[in-house]
Amino acid sequence: MSAVPLDHDAVREQIALHAIGALPPDERSAVESHLRGCTECAAELASLVPVSAALAQIVPAHEPPAALRGRVLAAAKVTARASTRRSMAAWAPWLAAAAMLVVAAGASFYAADLRAEVRTLQAQLRVALDRAADGERRVAVALRTVADAEAPLAVLIAPDVRRIDLAGQPVAARASGRAFWSRSRGVVLTATNLPALPPGRTYQLWFVTSAAPVSIGLVKPDASGSVRRLVDSRGDFPEPVAVAVTIEPDGGVLAPTGDKYLVGAAQ
Amino acid sequence: MWLAVLSTIADASAADSDRFALQRMVRGDHDALAEVYDRHARLLYSLALRIVGRQPDAEDVLQEVFTQVWRQAGRYDTSRGSVAGWLVMLTRSRALDRLRRERGEPPAADVDWAAIDVVDPGAGADLRLVTAEQAARIRAALEALPDAQRVPLELGYYEGLSQSAIAGRLGVPLGTIKTRMRQALLRLRDALAETAP
Repeated sequence: MSAVPLDHDAVREQIALHAIGALPPDERSAVESHLRGCTECAAELASLVPVSAALAQIVPAHEPPAALRGRVLAAAKVTARASTRRSMAAWAPWLAAAAMLVVAAGASFYAADLRAEVRTLQAQLRVALDRAADGERRVAVALRTVADAEAPLAVLIAPDVRRIDLAGQPVAARASGRAFWSRSRGVVLTATNLPALPPGRTYQLWFVTSAAPVSIGLVKPDASGSVRRLVDSRGDFPEPVAVAVTIEPDGGVLAPTGDKYLVGAAQ
Repeated sequence: MWLAVLSTIADASAADSDRFALQRMVRGDHDALAEVYDRHARLLYSLALRIVGRQPDAEDVLQEVFTQVWRQAGRYDTSRGSVAGWLVMLTRSRALDRLRRERGEPPAADVDWAAIDVVDPGAGADLRLVTAEQAARIRAALEALPDAQRVPLELGYYEGLSQSAIAGRLGVPLGTIKTRMRQALLRLRDALAETAP
């Protein structure tokens, strides 16, 4: 069924059900097309969406089985990230279906010929798509390499860049560092003489804001204790009053727990 | 002075870590997926279990969700809402799909959360989770609803039944079901608003 235009009052009645995804498809698309032009109804929806999230959050709590973690992570690991192969997969059944149609038409001799040809074309298509995908992958890698090299520079020359000098703390008196921060482009951290990390630990970079410390990213120094890296952090957090590097369990933590190794006030 | 600030725990920091983890996934960092799992698996598993009812099915749902997150990390626009909100909606969507398959219905026949699977949660939609205090208030408000309103809402939200299926099951006219579900949701919204600072 296609979407039937609805007037404002009719849509208004349906927004609550739309917010929890409980409308049938035809009514849903009618509501959605009205929402695009009506700020009042969009505001009504925005006020109801948190109710949907809350309903998901109030279910009885159950601890997931311990073995599930490994299973879930292993399954993701063998899953390719979105690729271009899908288009070929979409073609193959279509070609096969085309071949079957010709057979059904009764011209079986001709059809056998065609089917063979379709098979050849399918194989050629597969090879061509593989090559195209490979080419795309290489271009993507090259672009990423260039972007990786350019990004720190972009931070350093940003009009809004700020430099925050970091001083080694008692646990790492010889260490020192500098953070360059551009709200629009990210953070570059450089540091030297950071002590080697014990196994299972990582350094974590924080912006201490007026509200709370915000995790900017994890930092692993090289063998000489040096760090020179871009942390892509363009969040909308408040202005930092200080920058700190702490030692934390691998993977990082939500709020700092370990010793501070580097600290600097952001003037 | 900021030393005291440094020890404060903040939701903003968790949301920031999630966004950061998604960026790392795009670069192929599996540890980032593990981090997100550790932060949210308990809530997502509880939700999946509430919907599908059986432990093995809930486990399958979580596997589907995290595989999808891994695949689509780069396609989710984090400015549209919190990662946690996205995860919750993905989980509900996958779990409801499973129930529908069991009932012989096509996936997302009546509730199409797939629309938010990729990027767009819909005009004005804000996929943020509510605070623990707000959730407690909503739970109390839900329990305080008359059965006539609460039951249709729960059937729609946790079982993905269409309104006509709910009407059929409860032996109540369709129009009445719609009205009661709407009233229930508006009551819950009021409860949520009371906790707003």
